[in-house]
Amino acid sequence: MDFQTLILKLSEYWASRGCILEQPYDTEVGAGTMHPATFLRVLGPEPWRCAYVQPSRRPADGRYGENPFRLVKHYQFQVVIKPSPADIQDLYVDSLRAIGIEPAEHDLRFEEDNWESPTLGAWGVGWQVLLDGMEITQFTYFQQAGGIDLAPITAEITYGLERLTMFLTRTRNVMDIEWAPGVPYGEVRRQDEFEVSKYGFEVADTDLLRHLFERLEAESGRCLAAGLVVPAYETALKCSHAFNLLDARGAVSATERVGVIKRVRDLAVGCAKAWVAARESLGHPLLPKETPRPEAAEAGNGEA
Amino acid sequence: MSEFLLEILAEEIPAGVLSQARNDLLRGLADALAAERIDGTFFAHSTSRRLVLFSRDLPEVQEDHEVEAIGPSVKVAFDAEGRPTRAAEGFARGQGVAVEALRVVATPKGEYVSVRKVVEGRFTSEILGEVVPTVVAKMSFPRMMRWGDGRDTWIRPVHSVVCLLDGLVVPVTLFGIESGRTTFGHRTLAPGRIVVVGVDDYLAKLRAAHVEPDYGVRRRTLLEKAEALASEAGCTPVEDSALLDSLAHLVEWPGLVRGSFEAGYLELPEEILVTAMREHQKVLPTRDASGALAPHFLAVADHVGDPMGHIVRGNEWVLNARFADARFFWDEDGRVRLEDRVPRLARLSFQEKLGDTLRKAERVEALASRLAGDLGLGESAGEAARAARLARADLVTDMVREFPDLQGVVGGLYARRDGEGEAVCRAVYDHYRPAGVDDALPAEPVGRVVALADRLDTLAGFFALGLVPTGSRDPYALRRAALAVVRILLEGGHRLELPSAIAAARRLHEVSGASEEEVVSTLHPFLLERLRFLLERRGHRHDEIEAVLATPCPDVTDAAERVAAVSRVRRQPDFGALAASFKRVQNILAQAGVTSGGEIDPSLMSDDAERQLASDFFQARGILDELIGARRYDEALSVMASLGPVLDRFFVDVMVLVEDEAVRRNRLSLLAAMRDQFFRVARLSEIQE
Repeated sequence: MDFQTLILKLSEYWASRGCILEQPYDTEVGAGTMHPATFLRVLGPEPWRCAYVQPSRRPADGRYGENPFRLVKHYQFQVVIKPSPADIQDLYVDSLRAIGIEPAEHDLRFEEDNWESPTLGAWGVGWQVLLDGMEITQFTYFQQAGGIDLAPITAEITYGLERLTMFLTRTRNVMDIEWAPGVPYGEVRRQDEFEVSKYGFEVADTDLLRHLFERLEAESGRCLAAGLVVPAYETALKCSHAFNLLDARGAVSATERVGVIKRVRDLAVGCAKAWVAARESLGHPLLPKETPRPEAAEAGNGEA
Repeated sequence: MSEFLLEILAEEIPAGVLSQARNDLLRGLADALAAERIDGTFFAHSTSRRLVLFSRDLPEVQEDHEVEAIGPSVKVAFDAEGRPTRAAEGFARGQGVAVEALRVVATPKGEYVSVRKVVEGRFTSEILGEVVPTVVAKMSFPRMMRWGDGRDTWIRPVHSVVCLLDGLVVPVTLFGIESGRTTFGHRTLAPGRIVVVGVDDYLAKLRAAHVEPDYGVRRRTLLEKAEALASEAGCTPVEDSALLDSLAHLVEWPGLVRGSFEAGYLELPEEILVTAMREHQKVLPTRDASGALAPHFLAVADHVGDPMGHIVRGNEWVLNARFADARFFWDEDGRVRLEDRVPRLARLSFQEKLGDTLRKAERVEALASRLAGDLGLGESAGEAARAARLARADLVTDMVREFPDLQGVVGGLYARRDGEGEAVCRAVYDHYRPAGVDDALPAEPVGRVVALADRLDTLAGFFALGLVPTGSRDPYALRRAALAVVRILLEGGHRLELPSAIAAARRLHEVSGASEEEVVSTLHPFLLERLRFLLERRGHRHDEIEAVLATPCPDVTDAAERVAAVSRVRRQPDFGALAASFKRVQNILAQAGVTSGGEIDPSLMSDDAERQLASDFFQARGILDELIGARRYDEALSVMASLGPVLDRFFVDVMVLVEDEAVRRNRLSLLAAMRDQFFRVARLSEIQE
């Protein structure tokens, strides 16, 4: 199985299970979770079924394209379904069949692995899914996002596409997997991995990044004040990316780090609140029309 | 006798909570039923997806029992003629008895009418229907979750509930799921429905559907398979009880496969290979006959076999990939010497107010150098300082980022590669030890000096900031650090004046906060508390420990020696008498308000017993000075004990608190001198008979 066939099969499968196929977000993000189709859509009572590929950037993971596993930019296939259906694990297992894995021939395990994002004020509970000892998927029931206790709960399934392809084809180096038949991943990506690694570790102008961080933070606040939730969130994402670049450059001290993360979180929390209010004022257009709007379920404490 | 079966089938429950959950469910339900006077023998099972509880000896019906209902007071219930009032009649009617059946009972509030009724026992199934949901809802877990509409909170979403009494469904609803007699087999091997009628039927059908419900059986099977599969390859599995526990919780069926990795990776340090296998991949390493790591491993598989070989090949691929990663880090990290990484520690915070990790390393370096001298290891001071400087540098390596549990170990390995001295390498390697009460100490003196300096620096810093553990709250694990200090000194037989070491550690911190004296006065007793704990673990009696801890204990090793001596000598015949006499000495001195003795004038002694005591004591004093100075505490205590009879006679024959002030003071001075001399070893008055 090549990389793009994997994407096609997963897309086809989840589309056939009622997910809309969103597209990658066009701002740098660290994970598929930061796409507004996840972070904002998990909030509030409206149902949501969505799948998309998200290129995810982690400047600190850069290895100049030399490490067989680590990349600045890797691709995630993200599925979010709200409310989490009772058969979500079965749906997931069927998705493996769709990509050519017959579960009965393998060892498939769901091992506890909880997820937390201090920058998004978000956490969830779930598993890493292991296939024959390889972590192929992260499975999370979102409990909180932007500091808000969630109800209904969203199930999030994240496939690491490169690792999955490597595993299915028993390839040792990510650069050697096939993107398309006859076209190695490395041919498509090696140069930009090298360049973004070099940029992130050696070239990025830390003064500019600091300046950008400050200005983008302020801009996000201005957007919120103007009632523009999505631009505010998008600006917060850019802010977060500036921070990640600074961090990779080693320009953020440990003490400073905590403070900076909190500033990004404050933006995310502000956006989450504003999004909830905005959807409310729009009358929650995604709620089924024919049935009266259910009372929002009481959110528990999350942790007992 | 009725047979009860409960199965809760959920999404995969974290391995770490299963044992507790199984016990909580069993205890919770047994207690709830006992409160309803239903007793039985319960058994609990668990798998990664199930909690199971059953009993074969429940009564069908709750026992009948008598209840007493209290009605109105006698004054209200009967009129002046003693006839029942409307209140009494109303109460009787409400209770469904004739008014004649009312009786009078005395209560603390006065006399009241009451009625005793026999309540017929209810059916066990009815009671189960009430208590099962309550008990399950009350179960608590370290991290709970919500799902679906977000209304329910439990450890994981529940999918089906089997609740049967004698083959009949006990209707309960758990998290919106109604109970029935249907469950499901193994997720991938036998996912179909299973209809069950009773416990044996359930267990048999479950096993046929590739689910072994009994954790103990799964664990045993895994161990047997591990040994058999390893021996086929001419090796033995590395013993790892905790890993085996966790593996048995992770599956419904105890499958195991043997895989191999590329032998070339055996060039990497064993510590790294073993950590990658155990911690990252949760597979059991193996060793060959010579004890060397073998290129085979054993991986758990929730499967009855490996029909296509996928499971072995997958695990091999992942492990080889992990090792390739580790080799990459090993080679990459090798480009920068450990020494040159030290300045990078400035980027790593140690504690907000105590500065970054570079500052920490520099303080520990200075302190280690001093402590080496204090501990009589002056010739190793240079090595200790060097090791202390390098000790944390591995925190800024890729290897430790990947294998955080190997901090220290990786530093030691890298130090060796850098060509540092062997003593330095070993000290860096195990300076994080001991990690707990049973963990080994650093193997060699230099490592112990570094470990001591590291912990004392941490403790002095946090105590200076007033961040002292209280109750069960100890977020910075300071008790563990203190325990490490005391264990290293005690078990290494090292002698250290703690107050001056603490003061030195405090001086190295630039932070304002508690003064040197304040830190000594809080941290020293904190360390002595750990000493008390360790001495109790060694089996010393409470009073023996108290007797020594009531004296100044700047040196914990010396204090432990004194406790040991008291333990041994207390069995000697004279010793009990001496301890009893010393209670009198203490009392009299306290009564007279004497804190320290004055001049002793033999010419003022009028009584034989008094002169005898003085002369024996003067003779003993010199000997005691010598014995105590040489820490020959057993002998010192025996010498003291030999004075017991003379002291007894003194108390019989001599009145201490006499009118004549000079004589009185002289006698008190003699007793005070004895006390001060004897209490250098232990406060004998604390010893109980």
